Amino acid sequence: MANTASHPNPTAWSAPFWEAAAQRRLVIQHCRSCDASIMYPKRVCPHCLGEDLGWRASKGEGEIYSVTVQKAAPPTGFEDRLPYVIAIVRLDEDVQLMTNLIGSDAEHAECGDRVTVDFETRSDIGVTLPVFRLVNPK
Amino acid sequence: MRRATAAVVGIGEVPSGRFPDRSELEAAVLACKGAILDAGLGPRDIDVVMPTGALASRHFNVDLIFSRLCEELGMLRSAAMNVQVMAGGASSSSMLALAEALVSTGAARTVLCVHSDAVGSLPRQMGIDLFATTGVSEEWEAPYGHNMNAVGALISQRYMHETGSTAAELSSVCVALRKWAQLNPNAMFRSPLSLEDVMTSKIVATPLRAKHCNVLADGASAFVVARASEAAAITPTPVYVRAHASKVTHYSVSQDRDLARLGFFEAAVEAYEQSGLEPKDIHIAELYDAYPVFPLIALDALRVCRGERAGSFVAAGETSPGGSMPMTTNGGMLSQGHTGAGGGVAVLVEAFRQLMGKAGERQVPGAVNAAETASGGTWMDSHVTILSKEA
Ligand SMILES: [Zn+2]
Repeated sequence: MANTASHPNPTAWSAPFWEAAAQRRLVIQHCRSCDASIMYPKRVCPHCLGEDLGWRASKGEGEIYSVTVQKAAPPTGFEDRLPYVIAIVRLDEDVQLMTNLIGSDAEHAECGDRVTVDFETRSDIGVTLPVFRLVNPK
Repeated sequence: MRRATAAVVGIGEVPSGRFPDRSELEAAVLACKGAILDAGLGPRDIDVVMPTGALASRHFNVDLIFSRLCEELGMLRSAAMNVQVMAGGASSSSMLALAEALVSTGAARTVLCVHSDAVGSLPRQMGIDLFATTGVSEEWEAPYGHNMNAVGALISQRYMHETGSTAAELSSVCVALRKWAQLNPNAMFRSPLSLEDVMTSKIVATPLRAKHCNVLADGASAFVVARASEAAAITPTPVYVRAHASKVTHYSVSQDRDLARLGFFEAAVEAYEQSGLEPKDIHIAELYDAYPVFPLIALDALRVCRGERAGSFVAAGETSPGGSMPMTTNGGMLSQGHTGAGGGVAVLVEAFRQLMGKAGERQVPGAVNAAETASGGTWMDSHVTILSKEA
Protein backbone atom coordinates (compact mmCIF):
# COMPACT_ATOMS: atom_id res chain seq x y z
CA MET A 1 0.00 0.00 0.00
CA ALA A 2 1.35 3.38 -0.99
CA ASN A 3 2.49 5.75 1.70
CA THR A 4 -0.50 8.06 1.92
CA ALA A 5 1.68 10.93 3.11
CA SER A 6 2.36 11.64 -0.53
CA HIS A 7 3.26 14.74 -2.46
CA PRO A 8 0.12 16.52 -3.63
CA ASN A 9 0.96 15.78 -7.29
CA PRO A 10 -0.12 19.12 -8.75
CA THR A 11 -1.97 19.23 -12.05
CA ALA A 12 -1.30 21.88 -14.69
CA TRP A 13 -4.23 23.90 -13.34
CA SER A 14 -3.43 23.49 -9.63
CA ALA A 15 0.31 24.18 -9.82
CA PRO A 16 -0.11 27.95 -9.18
CA PHE A 17 -1.87 27.14 -5.88
CA TRP A 18 1.13 25.13 -4.65
CA GLU A 19 3.63 27.64 -6.02
CA ALA A 20 1.86 30.37 -4.02
CA ALA A 21 1.81 28.16 -0.91
CA ALA A 22 5.57 27.66 -1.24
CA GLN A 23 5.80 31.48 -0.99
CA ARG A 24 3.46 31.41 2.03
CA ARG A 25 0.51 32.86 0.15
CA LEU A 26 -3.00 31.36 0.00
CA VAL A 27 -4.72 31.88 -3.34
CA ILE A 28 -8.17 31.02 -4.62
CA GLN A 29 -8.96 30.18 -8.22
CA HIS A 30 -11.31 32.69 -9.86
CA CYS A 31 -13.50 32.53 -12.97
CA ARG A 32 -13.28 35.68 -15.07
CA SER A 33 -16.43 34.73 -16.99
CA CYS A 34 -18.87 34.37 -14.08
CA ASP A 35 -16.87 35.78 -11.14
CA ALA A 36 -17.05 32.49 -9.16
CA SER A 37 -14.48 31.60 -6.51
CA ILE A 38 -13.42 28.00 -7.04
CA MET A 39 -12.04 25.55 -4.45
CA TYR A 40 -10.43 23.18 -5.16
CA PRO A 41 -8.80 24.46 -8.38
CA LYS A 42 -10.44 22.97 -11.45
CA ARG A 43 -9.79 22.57 -15.18
CA VAL A 44 -13.08 24.28 -16.04
CA CYS A 45 -15.30 26.51 -13.92
CA PRO A 46 -17.93 24.25 -12.30
CA HIS A 47 -20.45 27.12 -12.39
CA CYS A 48 -20.27 28.14 -16.07
CA LEU A 49 -17.81 25.59 -17.57
CA GLY A 50 -15.68 28.56 -18.66
CA GLU A 51 -11.94 28.22 -19.08
CA ASP A 52 -10.87 31.82 -18.48
CA LEU A 53 -9.57 31.15 -14.99
CA GLY A 54 -7.18 33.18 -12.83
CA TRP A 55 -6.15 33.61 -9.20
CA ARG A 56 -6.97 35.93 -6.33
CA ALA A 57 -5.21 36.32 -3.00
CA SER A 58 -7.16 35.05 -0.01
CA LYS A 59 -7.10 37.00 3.26
CA GLY A 60 -6.42 33.62 4.84
CA GLU A 61 -9.09 34.03 7.47
CA GLY A 62 -12.20 32.08 8.20
CA GLU A 63 -13.92 29.76 10.64
CA ILE A 64 -13.87 26.11 11.50
CA TYR A 65 -16.73 24.28 9.82
CA SER A 66 -15.78 21.00 11.47
CA VAL A 67 -12.80 19.56 13.28
CA THR A 68 -11.44 16.30 14.67
CA VAL A 69 -8.39 15.32 16.71
CA GLN A 70 -6.90 12.17 15.24
CA LYS A 71 -5.50 10.16 18.16
CA ALA A 72 -5.20 6.64 16.75
CA ALA A 73 -5.39 4.48 13.61
CA PRO A 74 -3.80 7.01 11.22
CA PRO A 75 -3.01 6.26 7.59
CA THR A 76 0.52 5.08 6.83
CA GLY A 77 3.04 7.88 7.17
CA PHE A 78 1.20 9.73 9.97
CA GLU A 79 2.05 7.48 12.93
CA ASP A 80 4.63 9.92 14.29
CA ARG A 81 2.33 12.93 13.93
CA LEU A 82 -0.29 11.66 16.40
CA PRO A 83 -2.19 13.41 17.78
CA TYR A 84 -2.96 15.77 14.90
CA VAL A 85 -5.93 17.96 14.14
CA ILE A 86 -7.88 17.75 10.87
CA ALA A 87 -10.31 20.56 10.11
CA ILE A 88 -12.58 21.83 7.39
CA VAL A 89 -12.20 25.61 7.21
CA ARG A 90 -14.74 27.92 5.59
CA LEU A 91 -12.77 30.95 4.39
CA ASP A 92 -14.31 34.42 4.51
CA GLU A 93 -14.27 34.28 0.70
CA ASP A 94 -16.96 31.57 1.16
CA VAL A 95 -15.04 28.53 -0.07
CA GLN A 96 -14.03 25.54 2.05
CA LEU A 97 -10.91 23.45 2.30
CA MET A 98 -9.45 20.65 4.34
CA THR A 99 -6.43 21.43 6.48
CA ASN A 100 -4.55 20.75 9.70
CA LEU A 101 -4.87 23.03 12.71
CA ILE A 102 -1.52 23.70 14.39
CA GLY A 103 -0.59 25.30 17.68
CA SER A 104 -0.64 24.05 21.26
CA ASP A 105 -4.35 24.83 21.63
CA ALA A 106 -5.45 23.26 18.35
CA GLU A 107 -6.86 20.18 20.12
CA HIS A 108 -9.42 22.39 21.86
CA ALA A 109 -10.80 23.89 18.63
CA GLU A 110 -14.56 23.83 18.08
CA CYS A 111 -16.93 24.42 15.20
CA GLY A 112 -17.28 28.15 14.56
CA ASP A 113 -13.87 29.17 15.97
CA ARG A 114 -12.03 31.83 13.96
CA VAL A 115 -8.79 30.73 12.31
CA THR A 116 -5.98 32.30 10.32
CA VAL A 117 -3.70 30.72 7.74
CA ASP A 118 -0.14 29.63 8.35
CA PHE A 119 2.16 27.43 6.31
CA GLU A 120 3.98 24.23 7.15
CA THR A 121 6.83 22.95 5.06
CA ARG A 122 6.73 19.18 5.04
CA SER A 123 10.16 17.97 4.10
CA ASP A 124 8.96 14.32 4.09
CA ILE A 125 6.76 14.99 1.07
CA GLY A 126 8.59 18.04 -0.26
CA VAL A 127 5.74 20.52 -0.15
CA THR A 128 4.48 23.56 1.75
CA LEU A 129 0.91 23.05 2.96
CA PRO A 130 -1.55 25.75 4.01
CA VAL A 131 -2.47 25.05 7.63
CA PHE A 132 -4.41 27.14 10.15
CA ARG A 133 -4.16 28.41 13.73
CA LEU A 134 -6.83 29.59 16.15
CA VAL A 135 -7.13 33.40 16.20
CA ASN A 136 -8.10 33.48 19.89
CA PRO A 137 -5.83 31.21 21.93
CA LYS A 138 -7.56 28.72 24.26
CA MET B 1 -47.40 8.88 -6.69
CA ARG B 2 -46.11 6.20 -9.04
CA ARG B 3 -46.91 2.48 -9.25
CA ALA B 4 -44.21 -0.04 -8.37
CA THR B 5 -42.60 -1.46 -11.51
CA ALA B 6 -40.08 -3.75 -9.84
CA ALA B 7 -39.98 -6.19 -6.95
CA VAL B 8 -37.36 -8.23 -5.14
CA VAL B 9 -38.17 -11.94 -5.26
CA GLY B 10 -35.16 -13.64 -3.66
CA ILE B 11 -32.28 -12.98 -1.25
CA GLY B 12 -29.05 -14.74 -0.32
CA GLU B 13 -26.27 -14.06 2.17
CA VAL B 14 -23.30 -15.69 3.85
CA PRO B 15 -22.12 -14.79 7.39
CA SER B 16 -19.92 -11.69 7.82
CA GLY B 17 -16.65 -11.80 9.71
CA ARG B 18 -13.08 -12.93 9.13
CA PHE B 19 -13.05 -16.06 7.00
CA PRO B 20 -9.52 -16.43 5.58
CA ASP B 21 -10.41 -19.89 4.26
CA ARG B 22 -13.48 -18.67 2.35
CA SER B 23 -12.60 -16.96 -0.94
CA GLU B 24 -14.58 -14.02 -2.31
CA LEU B 25 -15.59 -16.25 -5.21
CA GLU B 26 -16.96 -18.96 -2.93
CA ALA B 27 -18.89 -16.38 -0.90
CA ALA B 28 -20.29 -14.80 -4.10
CA VAL B 29 -21.37 -18.12 -5.56
CA LEU B 30 -23.11 -19.17 -2.33
CA ALA B 31 -24.89 -15.82 -1.94
CA CYS B 32 -26.08 -15.93 -5.59
CA LYS B 33 -27.19 -19.54 -5.30
CA GLY B 34 -29.12 -18.61 -2.16
CA ALA B 35 -30.89 -15.69 -3.87
CA ILE B 36 -31.78 -17.65 -7.02
CA LEU B 37 -33.16 -20.62 -5.06
CA ASP B 38 -34.94 -18.34 -2.58
CA ALA B 39 -36.81 -16.89 -5.57
CA GLY B 40 -37.71 -20.38 -6.74
CA LEU B 41 -35.80 -19.74 -9.98
CA GLY B 42 -32.94 -21.43 -11.76
CA PRO B 43 -29.71 -19.81 -13.00
CA ARG B 44 -30.98 -19.70 -16.59
CA ASP B 45 -33.90 -17.52 -15.50
CA ILE B 46 -31.48 -14.64 -14.80
CA ASP B 47 -31.17 -12.11 -17.65
CA VAL B 48 -28.66 -9.67 -16.16
CA VAL B 49 -25.93 -10.27 -13.58
CA MET B 50 -24.99 -7.07 -11.77
CA PRO B 51 -22.03 -7.44 -9.39
CA THR B 52 -20.83 -4.43 -7.44
CA GLY B 53 -17.15 -3.68 -6.91
CA ALA B 54 -14.75 -5.59 -4.69
CA LEU B 55 -11.84 -3.75 -3.06
CA ALA B 56 -9.59 -6.35 -1.42
CA SER B 57 -8.47 -8.17 -4.57
CA ARG B 58 -8.11 -6.53 -7.95
CA HIS B 59 -8.03 -10.00 -9.49
CA PHE B 60 -11.39 -10.96 -8.03
CA ASN B 61 -12.84 -7.60 -9.05
CA VAL B 62 -11.92 -8.08 -12.69
CA ASP B 63 -13.40 -11.58 -12.48
CA LEU B 64 -16.65 -9.95 -11.41
CA ILE B 65 -16.43 -7.50 -14.32
CA PHE B 66 -15.65 -10.21 -16.84
CA SER B 67 -18.57 -12.64 -16.29
CA ARG B 68 -16.91 -15.10 -13.92
CA LEU B 69 -20.17 -15.53 -12.01
CA CYS B 70 -22.11 -16.37 -15.21
CA GLU B 71 -19.66 -19.17 -15.90
CA GLU B 72 -19.58 -20.43 -12.29
CA LEU B 73 -23.37 -20.45 -11.96
CA GLY B 74 -24.38 -21.96 -15.30
CA MET B 75 -25.72 -18.87 -17.04
CA LEU B 76 -23.68 -19.02 -20.26
CA ARG B 77 -25.74 -18.12 -23.34
CA SER B 78 -28.79 -17.50 -21.18
CA ALA B 79 -27.57 -14.34 -19.41
CA ALA B 80 -27.78 -11.34 -21.72
CA MET B 81 -25.46 -9.02 -19.84
CA ASN B 82 -22.95 -8.95 -16.98
CA VAL B 83 -22.28 -5.40 -15.85
CA GLN B 84 -20.61 -4.03 -12.75
CA VAL B 85 -22.26 -1.20 -10.82
CA MET B 86 -19.96 0.38 -8.26
CA ALA B 87 -20.91 3.30 -6.05
CA GLY B 88 -19.07 2.32 -2.87
CA GLY B 89 -21.46 2.09 0.06
CA ALA B 90 -24.31 3.31 -2.14
CA SER B 91 -23.95 0.35 -4.47
CA SER B 92 -26.95 -1.23 -2.71
CA SER B 93 -29.52 1.43 -3.60
CA SER B 94 -27.79 2.18 -6.90
CA MET B 95 -27.94 -1.45 -8.07
CA LEU B 96 -31.59 -1.67 -7.04
CA ALA B 97 -32.48 1.55 -8.88
CA LEU B 98 -30.70 0.43 -12.05
CA ALA B 99 -32.16 -3.08 -11.88
CA GLU B 100 -35.58 -1.50 -11.44
CA ALA B 101 -34.99 0.59 -14.56
CA LEU B 102 -33.95 -2.48 -16.57
CA VAL B 103 -36.97 -4.59 -15.64
CA SER B 104 -39.44 -1.73 -15.93
CA THR B 105 -38.36 -0.77 -19.46
CA GLY B 106 -38.50 -4.37 -20.66
CA ALA B 107 -34.73 -4.58 -21.16
CA ALA B 108 -34.65 -7.53 -18.73
CA ARG B 109 -37.12 -9.70 -16.84
CA THR B 110 -34.74 -10.52 -13.98
CA VAL B 111 -31.56 -8.99 -12.57
CA LEU B 112 -29.26 -10.69 -10.06
CA CYS B 113 -27.43 -8.11 -7.90
CA VAL B 114 -24.50 -9.36 -5.85
CA HIS B 115 -21.70 -8.19 -3.61
CA SER B 116 -18.76 -10.18 -2.29
CA ASP B 117 -15.49 -8.98 -0.80
CA ALA B 118 -12.87 -9.97 1.77
CA VAL B 119 -11.71 -6.63 3.20
CA GLY B 120 -11.91 -8.15 6.69
CA SER B 121 -9.00 -10.47 5.93
CA LEU B 122 -6.69 -7.63 4.87
CA PRO B 123 -3.96 -6.68 7.36
CA ARG B 124 -5.35 -3.91 9.62
CA GLN B 125 -3.11 -1.11 8.35
CA MET B 126 -3.86 -2.06 4.74
CA GLY B 127 -7.56 -1.70 5.51
CA ILE B 128 -7.01 1.76 7.02
CA ASP B 129 -4.96 2.85 4.01
CA LEU B 130 -7.45 1.38 1.52
CA PHE B 131 -10.29 3.38 3.04
CA ALA B 132 -8.06 6.48 3.29
CA THR B 133 -8.24 6.59 -0.51
CA THR B 134 -11.97 5.97 -1.08
CA GLY B 135 -13.22 9.46 -1.83
CA VAL B 136 -10.22 11.15 -0.22
CA SER B 137 -8.38 13.47 -2.59
CA GLU B 138 -4.75 12.51 -3.05
CA GLU B 139 -3.79 16.10 -3.82
CA TRP B 140 -5.94 18.09 -1.40
CA GLU B 141 -6.67 15.84 1.58
CA ALA B 142 -4.23 12.94 1.90
CA PRO B 143 -1.30 15.25 2.81
CA TYR B 144 -3.23 16.27 5.94
CA GLY B 145 -3.54 12.69 7.19
CA HIS B 146 -7.20 12.47 6.23
CA ASN B 147 -8.83 9.04 6.47
CA MET B 148 -12.25 7.38 6.73
CA ASN B 149 -12.57 7.57 10.52
CA ALA B 150 -11.84 11.32 10.23
CA VAL B 151 -14.69 11.62 7.71
CA GLY B 152 -17.07 10.04 10.22
CA ALA B 153 -15.62 12.26 12.95
CA LEU B 154 -15.94 15.54 11.02
CA ILE B 155 -19.56 14.81 10.13
CA SER B 156 -20.35 13.71 13.71
CA GLN B 157 -18.80 16.88 15.11
CA ARG B 158 -20.83 19.14 12.84
CA TYR B 159 -24.01 17.15 13.50
CA MET B 160 -23.53 17.43 17.28
CA HIS B 161 -22.75 21.16 16.95
CA GLU B 162 -25.94 21.87 15.01
CA THR B 163 -28.41 19.51 16.72
CA GLY B 164 -27.15 19.43 20.30
CA SER B 165 -26.88 15.64 20.15
CA THR B 166 -24.51 14.17 22.72
CA ALA B 167 -21.72 11.60 22.68
CA ALA B 168 -23.94 9.35 24.80
CA GLU B 169 -26.67 9.53 22.17
CA LEU B 170 -24.24 8.61 19.41
CA SER B 171 -23.05 5.73 21.58
CA SER B 172 -26.62 4.54 22.07
CA VAL B 173 -26.81 3.85 18.31
CA CYS B 174 -23.99 1.31 18.70
CA VAL B 175 -25.78 -0.29 21.64
CA ALA B 176 -29.08 -0.56 19.76
CA LEU B 177 -27.40 -2.09 16.71
CA ARG B 178 -25.60 -4.65 18.86
CA LYS B 179 -28.92 -5.76 20.36
CA TRP B 180 -30.15 -6.54 16.86
CA ALA B 181 -26.89 -8.26 15.91
CA GLN B 182 -27.28 -10.58 18.91
CA LEU B 183 -30.33 -11.95 17.08
CA ASN B 184 -28.49 -12.25 13.74
CA PRO B 185 -26.48 -15.43 13.08
CA ASN B 186 -24.72 -13.70 10.14
CA ALA B 187 -23.34 -10.86 12.30
CA MET B 188 -19.65 -10.52 13.12
CA PHE B 189 -20.16 -9.14 16.65
CA ARG B 190 -22.80 -10.81 18.83
CA SER B 191 -21.57 -10.35 22.39
CA PRO B 192 -23.41 -7.82 24.60
CA LEU B 193 -22.28 -4.18 24.33
CA SER B 194 -23.11 -1.63 27.02
CA LEU B 195 -23.22 2.15 26.78
CA GLU B 196 -20.26 2.20 29.15
CA ASP B 197 -18.29 -0.17 26.89
CA VAL B 198 -18.74 2.31 24.03
CA MET B 199 -18.11 5.46 26.08
CA THR B 200 -14.90 4.13 27.62
CA SER B 201 -13.39 2.63 24.48
CA LYS B 202 -10.23 4.25 23.11
CA ILE B 203 -10.54 7.63 21.37
CA VAL B 204 -9.74 7.30 17.65
CA ALA B 205 -10.74 10.66 16.13
CA THR B 206 -12.77 12.98 18.36
CA PRO B 207 -15.64 12.60 19.04
CA LEU B 208 -15.36 9.00 17.80
CA ARG B 209 -14.13 6.17 19.99
CA ALA B 210 -13.12 2.73 18.85
CA LYS B 211 -16.62 1.30 19.35
CA HIS B 212 -18.09 4.08 17.19
CA CYS B 213 -15.95 2.88 14.29
CA ASN B 214 -16.95 -0.02 12.07
CA VAL B 215 -14.72 -3.05 11.67
CA LEU B 216 -13.93 -4.44 8.23
CA ALA B 217 -15.36 -7.87 7.46
CA ASP B 218 -15.56 -10.49 4.73
CA GLY B 219 -19.05 -11.07 3.45
CA ALA B 220 -21.41 -11.52 0.52
CA SER B 221 -25.07 -10.91 -0.17
CA ALA B 222 -27.30 -11.02 -3.24
CA PHE B 223 -30.85 -10.35 -4.38
CA VAL B 224 -32.98 -10.95 -7.46
CA VAL B 225 -35.09 -8.17 -8.98
CA ALA B 226 -38.08 -8.96 -11.24
CA ARG B 227 -40.92 -7.06 -12.88
CA ALA B 228 -43.60 -6.06 -10.39
CA SER B 229 -46.27 -7.54 -12.69
CA GLU B 230 -44.59 -10.96 -12.61
CA ALA B 231 -43.31 -10.99 -9.02
CA ALA B 232 -46.34 -12.57 -7.37
CA ALA B 233 -46.19 -15.48 -9.80
CA ILE B 234 -42.52 -16.07 -8.90
CA THR B 235 -42.72 -15.87 -5.11
CA PRO B 236 -45.41 -15.61 -2.41
CA THR B 237 -43.32 -12.91 -0.68
CA PRO B 238 -42.39 -10.20 -3.23
CA VAL B 239 -41.08 -6.87 -1.92
CA TYR B 240 -42.06 -3.95 -4.13
CA VAL B 241 -39.87 -0.93 -4.82
CA ARG B 242 -42.19 1.98 -4.12
CA ALA B 243 -39.70 4.84 -4.35
CA HIS B 244 -36.05 5.72 -4.79
CA ALA B 245 -34.58 9.20 -4.59
CA SER B 246 -31.00 10.35 -4.21
CA LYS B 247 -28.69 13.36 -4.33
CA VAL B 248 -24.96 13.57 -4.92
CA THR B 249 -23.65 16.21 -2.52
CA HIS B 250 -19.86 16.08 -2.88
CA TYR B 251 -16.73 14.17 -3.80
CA SER B 252 -14.50 15.68 -1.12
CA VAL B 253 -16.17 15.88 2.29
CA SER B 254 -14.56 19.30 2.76
CA GLN B 255 -16.73 20.66 -0.06
CA ASP B 256 -20.11 19.80 1.49
CA ARG B 257 -21.76 22.85 3.02
CA ASP B 258 -24.42 20.96 4.99
CA LEU B 259 -22.73 18.05 6.73
CA ALA B 260 -25.43 17.79 9.42
CA ARG B 261 -28.02 16.86 6.78
CA LEU B 262 -26.09 15.78 3.68
CA GLY B 263 -28.60 15.05 0.87
CA PHE B 264 -30.91 12.88 2.97
CA PHE B 265 -33.55 15.53 3.67
CA GLU B 266 -34.13 16.30 -0.02
CA ALA B 267 -34.05 12.61 -0.94
CA ALA B 268 -36.56 11.71 1.79
CA VAL B 269 -39.07 14.36 0.70
CA GLU B 270 -38.84 13.12 -2.88
CA ALA B 271 -39.12 9.44 -1.88
CA TYR B 272 -42.23 10.04 0.23
CA GLU B 273 -43.78 11.93 -2.64
CA GLN B 274 -43.07 9.12 -5.14
CA SER B 275 -44.36 6.41 -2.82
CA GLY B 276 -47.54 8.14 -1.70
CA LEU B 277 -46.56 7.09 1.83
CA GLU B 278 -45.93 9.29 4.85
CA PRO B 279 -43.56 8.97 7.81
CA LYS B 280 -46.35 7.40 9.91
CA ASP B 281 -46.63 4.57 7.34
CA ILE B 282 -43.02 3.42 7.83
CA HIS B 283 -42.71 0.35 10.09
CA ILE B 284 -38.98 -0.33 9.93
CA ALA B 285 -35.96 1.81 9.04
CA GLU B 286 -33.01 -0.05 7.52
CA LEU B 287 -30.44 2.75 7.67
CA TYR B 288 -26.88 2.74 6.41
CA ASP B 289 -24.53 3.25 9.33
CA ALA B 290 -20.77 2.65 9.23
CA TYR B 291 -20.64 5.35 11.96
CA PRO B 292 -23.46 6.14 14.44
CA VAL B 293 -24.13 9.66 13.16
CA PHE B 294 -25.49 8.45 9.82
CA PRO B 295 -28.57 6.60 11.07
CA LEU B 296 -29.30 9.70 13.19
CA ILE B 297 -29.18 11.99 10.14
CA ALA B 298 -31.38 9.53 8.24
CA LEU B 299 -33.91 9.28 11.10
CA ASP B 300 -34.14 13.09 11.19
CA ALA B 301 -34.60 13.20 7.41
CA LEU B 302 -37.23 10.44 7.36
CA ARG B 303 -39.18 12.17 10.20
CA VAL B 304 -39.97 8.86 11.89
CA CYS B 305 -39.08 9.90 15.48
CA ARG B 306 -42.54 11.28 16.34
CA GLY B 307 -41.16 14.80 16.58
CA GLU B 308 -38.30 13.85 18.86
CA ARG B 309 -34.64 14.47 18.11
CA ALA B 310 -33.14 11.31 16.58
CA GLY B 311 -30.46 11.09 19.28
CA SER B 312 -32.88 11.07 22.21
CA PHE B 313 -35.23 8.74 20.28
CA VAL B 314 -32.47 6.14 19.88
CA ALA B 315 -31.18 6.65 23.44
CA ALA B 316 -34.70 5.90 24.71
CA GLY B 317 -34.54 2.49 23.03
CA GLU B 318 -37.15 3.25 20.37
CA THR B 319 -35.00 1.73 17.60
CA SER B 320 -33.91 -1.35 19.58
CA PRO B 321 -35.69 -4.74 19.50
CA GLY B 322 -39.19 -4.15 20.85
CA GLY B 323 -39.04 -0.39 20.10
CA SER B 324 -41.50 1.60 18.00
CA MET B 325 -39.14 2.08 15.01
CA PRO B 326 -36.91 -0.98 14.55
CA MET B 327 -33.74 0.29 12.88
CA THR B 328 -30.97 -1.48 10.93
CA THR B 329 -32.13 -4.83 12.24
CA ASN B 330 -29.15 -6.86 11.00
CA GLY B 331 -26.89 -4.88 13.36
CA GLY B 332 -25.49 -2.69 10.59
CA MET B 333 -21.85 -2.32 9.71
CA LEU B 334 -21.10 -1.48 13.34
CA SER B 335 -22.10 -5.01 14.40
CA GLN B 336 -22.64 -7.20 11.32
CA GLY B 337 -19.33 -5.89 9.94
CA HIS B 338 -18.28 -3.50 7.16
CA THR B 339 -17.79 -5.65 4.07
CA GLY B 340 -16.77 -2.80 1.72
CA ALA B 341 -19.37 -1.83 -0.88
CA GLY B 342 -21.46 -4.63 0.58
CA GLY B 343 -22.07 -3.14 4.01
CA GLY B 344 -24.97 -1.31 2.44
CA VAL B 345 -26.07 -4.32 0.40
CA ALA B 346 -26.46 -6.31 3.63
CA VAL B 347 -28.62 -3.52 5.09
CA LEU B 348 -30.77 -3.49 1.95
CA VAL B 349 -31.07 -7.30 1.94
CA GLU B 350 -32.17 -7.08 5.58
CA ALA B 351 -34.99 -4.73 4.52
CA PHE B 352 -36.16 -7.34 1.98
CA ARG B 353 -35.76 -10.12 4.56
CA GLN B 354 -37.94 -8.34 7.09
CA LEU B 355 -40.69 -7.59 4.58
CA MET B 356 -40.52 -11.18 3.30
CA GLY B 357 -41.05 -12.39 6.88
CA LYS B 358 -37.77 -14.34 6.82
CA ALA B 359 -35.88 -12.55 9.62
CA GLY B 360 -36.19 -15.37 12.16
CA GLU B 361 -35.64 -14.38 15.77
CA ARG B 362 -35.45 -10.69 14.93
CA GLN B 363 -38.52 -10.62 12.67
CA VAL B 364 -40.52 -7.43 13.21
CA PRO B 365 -44.15 -8.54 13.28
CA GLY B 366 -46.53 -6.73 10.94
CA ALA B 367 -43.87 -4.79 9.03
CA VAL B 368 -45.39 -3.76 5.68
CA ASN B 369 -43.36 -0.70 4.65
CA ALA B 370 -39.64 -0.09 5.10
CA ALA B 371 -37.38 2.89 4.47
CA GLU B 372 -33.78 2.15 3.50
CA THR B 373 -30.83 4.53 3.13
CA ALA B 374 -27.34 4.29 1.68
CA SER B 375 -24.33 6.44 0.91
CA GLY B 376 -20.95 5.92 -0.75
CA GLY B 377 -17.40 7.20 -0.42
CA THR B 378 -17.18 10.07 2.05
CA TRP B 379 -21.03 10.24 2.12
CA MET B 380 -20.86 11.60 -1.41
CA ASP B 381 -24.51 10.78 -2.03
CA SER B 382 -27.69 10.23 -0.04
CA HIS B 383 -30.12 7.53 -1.15
CA VAL B 384 -33.60 6.89 0.25
CA THR B 385 -35.55 3.84 -0.93
CA ILE B 386 -39.08 2.93 0.18
CA LEU B 387 -40.07 -0.73 -0.01
CA SER B 388 -43.41 -2.40 0.62
CA LYS B 389 -45.18 -5.74 0.71
CA GLU B 390 -47.90 -3.92 -1.24
CA ALA B 391 -47.46 -3.02 -4.91
ZN1 LIG C 1 -17.49 30.51 -14.26
